[in-house]
Amino acid sequence: MTNQSSVEKPKDLVVSPPPQINGTMSKTRVMTYTFIALLIITIATAAIWWPVMTPTEMQMATFTEAGLTGFLAMPLGAILLVNALIAVGVAVLSDFIIGKAAADSEVNTMSAAVFGLIVTLCYSLGLPGMAKAVEVMPLEVLSAPGCFIFIALTSFLGLVIFKKLQGMAGRKYLNPAAAAKFIVLLPFLFSTFLIKEHWAPYDAGGLSMPQLTSAITKESFGVYLQGCYGNPGLTSHPSTESLMLLTKFHGWPGGASSIVVIIVGVALIFLLRNYFKWKITATYFGSVTVMSLIMTGIYGGDPMTRLLFELFIGSSIFLGFFMATDPATTPYTRNGQIIFGIGLGVLTVLIQMYMNFFGGALLALLIMNLTVPLLDRIGINKPFGR
Amino acid sequence: MPYEHIKEVKDKARVTPIEIFPDPKTAIVILNQHSGKPLSPLVAVDDSVAIGQKIADSKERISSPVHSPISGKVVKIGNIYNHCLETFTEAIFIENDGKKTKANTLSPISESELQKTKPADLLNIIHEAGIIGLGGAGFPTHIKLAPPADFPIKNLVVNATEGEPYDTADERLLIEKTTNLLRGVNVIKKILGNPKVTIATKVSKADAVPKLQEVFGNESDTTVVAGHFKYQQGDASVLQKALFGYETPPTKRSYEMGCIVQNVATINAIANAVFEGEPLISRVVAFNGEIAQPKNLLVKIGTPISDIFNQNNIDMNDVRQVVVGGVMMGHAIPTTEAPITKRSSSIIPFSESNYKKEQKQTTCIHCSKCISACPVKLHPILIYEAIMKPDMEKAEKLWNKDCIGCGTCSYVCPSRIPLASTIMASR
Repeated sequence: MTNQSSVEKPKDLVVSPPPQINGTMSKTRVMTYTFIALLIITIATAAIWWPVMTPTEMQMATFTEAGLTGFLAMPLGAILLVNALIAVGVAVLSDFIIGKAAADSEVNTMSAAVFGLIVTLCYSLGLPGMAKAVEVMPLEVLSAPGCFIFIALTSFLGLVIFKKLQGMAGRKYLNPAAAAKFIVLLPFLFSTFLIKEHWAPYDAGGLSMPQLTSAITKESFGVYLQGCYGNPGLTSHPSTESLMLLTKFHGWPGGASSIVVIIVGVALIFLLRNYFKWKITATYFGSVTVMSLIMTGIYGGDPMTRLLFELFIGSSIFLGFFMATDPATTPYTRNGQIIFGIGLGVLTVLIQMYMNFFGGALLALLIMNLTVPLLDRIGINKPFGR
Repeated sequence: MPYEHIKEVKDKARVTPIEIFPDPKTAIVILNQHSGKPLSPLVAVDDSVAIGQKIADSKERISSPVHSPISGKVVKIGNIYNHCLETFTEAIFIENDGKKTKANTLSPISESELQKTKPADLLNIIHEAGIIGLGGAGFPTHIKLAPPADFPIKNLVVNATEGEPYDTADERLLIEKTTNLLRGVNVIKKILGNPKVTIATKVSKADAVPKLQEVFGNESDTTVVAGHFKYQQGDASVLQKALFGYETPPTKRSYEMGCIVQNVATINAIANAVFEGEPLISRVVAFNGEIAQPKNLLVKIGTPISDIFNQNNIDMNDVRQVVVGGVMMGHAIPTTEAPITKRSSSIIPFSESNYKKEQKQTTCIHCSKCISACPVKLHPILIYEAIMKPDMEKAEKLWNKDCIGCGTCSYVCPSRIPLASTIMASR
């Protein structure tokens, strides 16, 4: 190129494979949006929960009478915020240390922070009014300061074992937050959750927990829901509809206000579009609805009450939006995601009904997680024109 | 099925009329611009050549000759960077003598003679004119327009969608050469036995749509479809699905479905060859990207790309990346000494601050966005994982060869995994 040599030799041009432009969505951005969504839910719940002293004066007196001590009376909202700080702090710090120690591990602060908030929002808190039946409730888990230790443990084990170690093995199988919570609280599952005192009448020292395998009516079931989810500081409670949709004072902080979760979740879906596995959310709630109606058909009772419970219990509404859609532990393929969502809904209702484990969505999620490799194989669709 | 929206950067370029770019001092005509084996030179060093003189050809069926874009002397036959193949290939270097001597290579016909002319003669002109698919594929047009006799062509689609986000060359042709395009379409109709004509363009080409309706509106069996086509629908098969509803199996050629899809620039070249006797020695190139005034330039094939930068007074120290042929499917070139080829639809420079940096690829987060975004319903991340293993058998089972290379999967990937280029390289 003789006559082109007069052109000043510029800096080397950069060659990269096509396409030469990228979309605006990056991993950090997906994680940031998700973090903000979860943060809004955390703050909203903290605000709703702020007026409820936990334990209440009356509960404290009952506990002392029963010889139980070591409770720290704090506003429930404050407990939640401290929990959030601990969970996020432990997750981010562990992620940072592992990232520095192991050369092949990426430090992913935003992802760890999201994990911390999910752990917070699926960690049950709040002492319901019915907690007067002290011996059948895991009181130290549900209130300060016991919850601070349990949540730190959950966040740490979840990040180290289920996020990092699992990640090293290639594919993550189990939802880290769900798996960690399940492991940490497993002792309580058998010692307090699945014991017969739950179904014993209230007068006999039980919790009057209803059998879902019976005709549930608005009246009887409503009393239970009010005792479980109503503000323990009040004697009269709003309607069950209002409790289930607007404000629950016990259980998963992420599901304290179903309406907040729905608004934030739907907004996040519109922001992230197909970066969010909304097909799982849709099919999950769809199949829970269908299952509830089928079960009403079998056992009778009021379909709306059963539906209110199945759809809007904290574990269901929060898990459906934010845990069942965890990208790493759910199927790639469209068909796989649809089967996953349906399976999750069916299993959740079955576990709740036949194990009487009301937070059964968590166990159902872990079971469905294990089917993901299979679902991905059978979910492959034929390409264009084949 | 929703296609991923890719933001277009065309506002300035699409309203800028085509400008004739001066002839180069030295033209570098690459011998492998079509998809197929390279040509053999018909001239030697020190030979004199005239404008339009055929300077290289091949006996291969799938080949297309090249012509001298200028008059002058052959000074060298050597290697130069060829952006079509992303490597250095042989080219003929011609020094301009400024005399503009013309050679009469083709025997053009007048418009009134068209209906009497045999399709074979028209195909011969197209062949001799060196016309290949100018949309980017580079397949010789005289082969494409001669499908086997047992596949009658019912539909001719003029692909005027031009979805590449920075490209505007076709759009300017639609606006400025509309009647010439009609002449070209008439040639193709004659060759194919009067198929129905569908002109597929986009609503966003606001100046082109009324021109097309005006010129083509009264033609028989001709429809102008101005749709909200997305970038991915610029692919011939995906476009046919949008227009006619069927999915062409990847094992079949378009003509087996009774359809031929032609790009606008190709049709323009056909009209120029058949009626003006002008071989394919120039093309419209969009000069867009990070420049103050984007342009559409009618450039001689063989013009060094550096000429375009010099002529526009662009300091190469400000340029860190030059993309040829579109930011989605085109390639970044390592040197601007490379010449314009028949397939250079656009030249797009990026500055230090905006070129696509070597982004750190991170682990897949399994969001599955690439799967929902693929216009041909493939599973890009699963194919990628199979290739990386490497398990080519699995990659083939996942139909890696069906990839159309549109680049959407890489574009949407939040972890910046080079899905498209890896899959294309595995085909």
